[in-house]
Amino acid sequence: MRGCNNFLADKRRTSHLPCARARRAEYDACLRTREGGLSAVNERGDAYYWRLFATACCFVVFGLGGLALGLVVFPLTRLLPGGELAQRERVRRTLGAVLRWFADFTVFMGVLTYEVSGAERLGRPGQLVLANHPSLIDVVFLLAFSPSSSCIGKQALWANPFTRGPVSAAGYVSNDTVEGMIEGASAALRSGQSVIIFPEGTRTAPGRPLQFHRGAAAIAIRAAQVVTPVYIRCSPPTLAKNVPWYRIPERRFHVSLRTGEDIDPEPFRRSAAAPIAGRRLSARLLQLYTAELAASEAAIETANGAAMRTGSGE
Amino acid sequence: MTLQQQTYEMIRGSLIELFQLEPGRITPEARLADDLEIDSIDAVDLVDHVRRLTGRKISAEDFRSVRTVGDLVHALERLVHT
Repeated sequence: MRGCNNFLADKRRTSHLPCARARRAEYDACLRTREGGLSAVNERGDAYYWRLFATACCFVVFGLGGLALGLVVFPLTRLLPGGELAQRERVRRTLGAVLRWFADFTVFMGVLTYEVSGAERLGRPGQLVLANHPSLIDVVFLLAFSPSSSCIGKQALWANPFTRGPVSAAGYVSNDTVEGMIEGASAALRSGQSVIIFPEGTRTAPGRPLQFHRGAAAIAIRAAQVVTPVYIRCSPPTLAKNVPWYRIPERRFHVSLRTGEDIDPEPFRRSAAAPIAGRRLSARLLQLYTAELAASEAAIETANGAAMRTGSGE
Repeated sequence: MTLQQQTYEMIRGSLIELFQLEPGRITPEARLADDLEIDSIDAVDLVDHVRRLTGRKISAEDFRSVRTVGDLVHALERLVHT
């Protein structure tokens, strides 16, 4: 995919700390040696007040960035030559680049670390990209690593002064009405765009079983050539639904995006009329996500357990 | 068969085909959402299907006040004959 070669495939991006899995151990070690010769890296890495300040900075930068893009940058780029399509492409490329910068800024500030795998398989024509939505920041990574894609967003983003400019200039699809969303997303897919959708319809409610709206499957049955799941983990959980921004996690959090195997909607489409086919596909997708997230949960538990044991042995 | 009966039969056929409903559940009084479990996403498919069958430009807007199968038949009658 254009423009993000250096980010492709399994690239773990951490700023100062060597390994995300060892972070818990480091954090514990950091607490134990607080009086002793504590390295500046550890101090900053999990220092609560710094991360609180840095998180606030990131929100401010995001808001100002959104305003500046909407009020200055995109109105200016509209003056450049090119039809609607070229304009939209330009806006999305710019937005993708800005969000990539923002992703790295959050890492630089010590708020989080992240890894993205399989991004080169995103952004194909007629591809419906599904993603779970554990935190507010997921969409930053998705749009940063699949910049040509369209995206379905909640109507409030078109009313929010900080996001209104970018989402309208980029020609994203609003979920205002069910019909408008399904028609809009289907038209985008048929015209050869890829479309990102969060099938939960909103951020994940922590501690509750995953639930999907059938809208995503309905769109897939109507118009997708291929459906590609992206599994997102945010550990420890943060910026979840109904959690205020200042309730930051106990340590720097790690966001991982893993692009899963393609799913062909055609067999579902052939199996029954659209509503039933959509229900079948939706059930299949939910099953995939539930299994995948449970498996990665278990892997993280094991890794943390190992890190803790290693850490206490030092 | 009157026009209204024809429309009703068309709707009945569509509901059975699209949602694999038991024919016995479909009556003019049956409520689409509560009795037949047809939600807003299904409604988009249903409108689409009816649009294809009748060749008419129909939008979801035209069905805003529709609650039952009978309402749907009336709404469609009005659209087709105006």
